[in-house]
Amino acid sequence: MRPSVSLNGREQAVEDGETVAGLLERLGLGARYALVERNGEPVERASYPEVRLEDGDRLVVARPVAGG
Amino acid sequence: MSSNDPLVIAGREFGSRLLTGTGKYDTFETMRDALTASGSEIVTVAVRRIDLDARDDDITTFLPENVLLLPNTSGCETADEAVQTARLARAGGLPDWVKLEVIPDPRYLLPDPVETLRAAATLVEDGFTVLPYVLPDPVLQKKLEEVGCATVMPLAAPIGSGRGLKLRDTIRIMVEQAEVPLVVDAGLGAPSHASEAMELGADAVLVNTAIARAGDPVAMARAFRLAVEAGRTAFHAGVMEEGVQAAASSPLTGAVHES
Repeated sequence: MRPSVSLNGREQAVEDGETVAGLLERLGLGARYALVERNGEPVERASYPEVRLEDGDRLVVARPVAGG
Repeated sequence: MSSNDPLVIAGREFGSRLLTGTGKYDTFETMRDALTASGSEIVTVAVRRIDLDARDDDITTFLPENVLLLPNTSGCETADEAVQTARLARAGGLPDWVKLEVIPDPRYLLPDPVETLRAAATLVEDGFTVLPYVLPDPVLQKKLEEVGCATVMPLAAPIGSGRGLKLRDTIRIMVEQAEVPLVVDAGLGAPSHASEAMELGADAVLVNTAIARAGDPVAMARAFRLAVEAGRTAFHAGVMEEGVQAAASSPLTGAVHES
């Protein structure tokens, strides 16, 4: 069975060995200022291409928005 | 001293004493033009989950060059949430500066002083430059300075209310005893409010709604820029003491038709 993660509370299928950068790219978020939390811990931007997602991971992807 | 004496926060110099928020503009284009007109060098943004069903524009591509992006922790109701949000922003490539807001109350949007102090201590320890948003409170100000905050940012009036300096005398005390820059943040509705804060000796002001919701945000941004410069110049010039009785400006003797 294909592994899946929780992405902003929604189930998201991922490829075997897919990285954070790979998933962002596949979802069309690659060029964006995506901020990523994995299982409650922030992921350093420099390691997006190295961190491999595992079945059951909980991801939060955020970005800067307008605010005061 | 000129009105252009730099604002120094955590050892970094800024030419402008007007900080601006990016919320509530009708379009990102208007926001970009207003931020440029404001001359602001520190610009706040919020951090929110990406809506996977909507592809909105990336706000960071609409910001003037060379501004310092200041992520805030709006939406956080506890110290732990604020710390987590700040760490997420920094890990993702935003600056390690944070406008710390811990606001559990949705009606008046008043910050929680206890949780704010707790989060500030943790974030300073963690290497952040922390700019906390607080109620005007000289005792809290000292505690925030003691834990190493880079500024203290008291509100003039509730966020978005536009009511001006409602606790003027308390803010005056904070100005007098400030050891790090005092930034009046929130509630300033008109350029005259910003001038008043600067005349009082505030080091800077932060304005969002009053510019973003103006009929002409770009012109209003310029008006706030001028008001902040005017207020700073007046502060250095020395604002006269208030008196109860009249004091004539013209000679009281030698009138042309003296009786």
